[in-house]
Amino acid sequence: MLRASLRSPRVLGPKSVSNTAGLQWHSIQAARRGYAETAKPSIGNSKPVVLPGSASATSPQPPPPRQPMIQGAPTPTKPTTNPTIPAHNVPLTPPPPPTNNVVKPAPSATPPPPPPPPRKPRGRVRRFLTALVLLTALSFGGGVYYSRINDNFHDFFTEYIPFGEDAVLYFEEREFRKRFPPTTTRKPRDTGDRVKIPSQSGVSWRVAEDNKSATARHANASKDTPKPREAIQDPVGTKTEEKVKVVEAAKKEAAVPNSQSSETTLPLGKAPEGKSPVVQSPVKPGQPVKKETAPSSTTANAIPFTAPEVDQPSKFPPEVTRIDPIKVNDANEPVVQDLVKIINDIITVVNADNSNSRFSTTIDKAKREVSKLGGKIKALKDEAEKDATSKINSEKEDFDRAAKELIRRLEAEMAKQQSQWQEEYQNERQKIQENYEQKLKAEVERAQQVNEQRLKNELLKQAIDLKNKFMSDVKTQVEEERDSRLGKLTDLSKTVNDLEKLTTDWNSVVDANLKTQHLHVAVEAVRANLEKSQVPRPFVRELAALKEIASDDEVVNAAIASINPVAYQRGVPSSSHLIDRFRRVASEVRKASLLPEDAGVASHASSYILSKVLFKKKGLATGDDVESILTRTETFLEEGNLDEAAREMNGLKGWAKTLSKDWMGEVRRVLEVQQALDVIATEARLQSLRVE
Amino acid sequence: MPETSIPPPVAARPSKPVSEALLNEKWDRCLSSLLIRSSLGLSFGVVFSVLLFKRRAWPAFVGLGFGAGRAYEECNGSFLRTNRDGVRVTRP
Repeated sequence: MLRASLRSPRVLGPKSVSNTAGLQWHSIQAARRGYAETAKPSIGNSKPVVLPGSASATSPQPPPPRQPMIQGAPTPTKPTTNPTIPAHNVPLTPPPPPTNNVVKPAPSATPPPPPPPPRKPRGRVRRFLTALVLLTALSFGGGVYYSRINDNFHDFFTEYIPFGEDAVLYFEEREFRKRFPPTTTRKPRDTGDRVKIPSQSGVSWRVAEDNKSATARHANASKDTPKPREAIQDPVGTKTEEKVKVVEAAKKEAAVPNSQSSETTLPLGKAPEGKSPVVQSPVKPGQPVKKETAPSSTTANAIPFTAPEVDQPSKFPPEVTRIDPIKVNDANEPVVQDLVKIINDIITVVNADNSNSRFSTTIDKAKREVSKLGGKIKALKDEAEKDATSKINSEKEDFDRAAKELIRRLEAEMAKQQSQWQEEYQNERQKIQENYEQKLKAEVERAQQVNEQRLKNELLKQAIDLKNKFMSDVKTQVEEERDSRLGKLTDLSKTVNDLEKLTTDWNSVVDANLKTQHLHVAVEAVRANLEKSQVPRPFVRELAALKEIASDDEVVNAAIASINPVAYQRGVPSSSHLIDRFRRVASEVRKASLLPEDAGVASHASSYILSKVLFKKKGLATGDDVESILTRTETFLEEGNLDEAAREMNGLKGWAKTLSKDWMGEVRRVLEVQQALDVIATEARLQSLRVE
Repeated sequence: MPETSIPPPVAARPSKPVSEALLNEKWDRCLSSLLIRSSLGLSFGVVFSVLLFKRRAWPAFVGLGFGAGRAYEECNGSFLRTNRDGVRVTRP
């Protein structure tokens, strides 16, 4: 539908004419190029079938559609490219032209046909012209014919002779069409055209004519089908009727009320077959309420309802009479239920067939009979029940009597047995009592004996205990006596041991004393070595001896470890040596005493010169300047107070400190050694004191 | 023979000056460099004056000044550098 709507404006549009012309031209070009490239089927087929009429050189059909194209008209030359031709009219694909890879120049570019010669010279010229034209036509026709036979010539002809290809193609196409007559199922050649959809195709609001025919056929089929069904169902209906009849004969009198009841349920069941106006069945509970009306016009062959065409006036479909399934009042018996079910099935089948009007009477009868059958069965059941109750009552009385007699006999027997059992019981009791008394006596005697024995045993045990106690007492007494004497002896030995210990202690004291003496001596030796030497001398040997003597004294070891190794490897300078060096260092420090923080050459020089004119101080000068520090240090040194001197010099800063660094190091080493020696001497003294 | 491979205890390096002689050494260096550089500058100035400036006096003085100034600069640098931390001084 959409396509149809879109198509119409496209066709009617203003651009359509020029567009179509251009498209056609392109399609022609494309088609031509395609021919040149595709292989000719005659290559594979060694000898193509040549029909006598198509291949003749003197064919009465010249290629007329080519003429307008030569003149440069945009109209299509081939009928296949015409866009207005419907799809099924498009001719089939002709066999492709010969294989030549060279793209052939378009026929429009080929040289035009020979121009018409001048007509003025009448006689010879005219003859010559006619001869020429005839010859040309003949040779062209011969060429076309021969090109159908020979492939090489075909190639040559189509490539070099103007319009040769067209002519050959035309004939080939004719031959092809002859061999394969066109059919609508064939796919049209793809010419690059727009796909044309006929106006009939697609979805439209109209009901298609094909559909109409199909529905008609369908309606016919539905109409035909019921006939065999009737044939099948007829015997069934008769069977049910026969059954009903048999039952009726068997129980005639019982069926009367039931049949009446069934008749009341189906009042209009006896409606005439052909012209039953309306079969109105009473609406029953538990069933969907349906209004079933048989149309007045319905006959045995119900006319199937056909839906009206769209252009016809609409009408209601005729309503079909439905035979409603029966329902029996006293349908408690399973047999009746089965019957009812069977009949209901039949009814449903009939209803489904729409042939209810034909079977309605039969089925109504059947229904009635079935309902009668139910009543009969009920009556039979009642009678059987009555018989059974009477029988049961007589049986019950017999049983009662028998039971009473039985009970009486049983009671008498039971009383007899009871008296017997009581006697036996009394005898047994007496026997058991005697037995028990005897046993009791024996046990009491036994218990008394046991008790006496136990008492005796206890007495014996006590006697033994007493004896033991006495023995232990005696023993302890003896032991005590002995211990007092032995204790004195151990005291004596203890005192002897103490004495021994004392003597050994004294020995150790003497040893310690010796050790301390040695320590003293060693320390003195070191000190003497230090003080006596004018030149610094190593005192490693003395120190080693000292360490040997105080092998396990921690204090001494720590003191020795505190000495700088350089000190005892190279020796320490004496105090006079230190003072001497200090003089030198002091003069240098004085030169640099007036330097500022970042001193260059000029400040150094000025400091050097100005330090010459500084006044010298004496004694313990006060102040933080370099001069006073130096004076104080000198004084301390002269007093022999190395420690204070070192402290003073440590307060220097800047260049002064740098200059006095070596001297400070020496002083420090000396002080360390002195301190260590002092510590060792003190330790030695302490040791000697500790011994006392 | 591991005992022999142990070198004997090395004596104190004589090249390292004692701390009190640090300044003096610096002065020595400064003076010598001053002498050398000023004489070099002077000689260059003399040569230039002879070759290029028709024996005038000022090129010689200029050379002398250049040499002396260079020496002074170096000396000043050496004095300033000594006390500074974080700068390692490598001597030639």
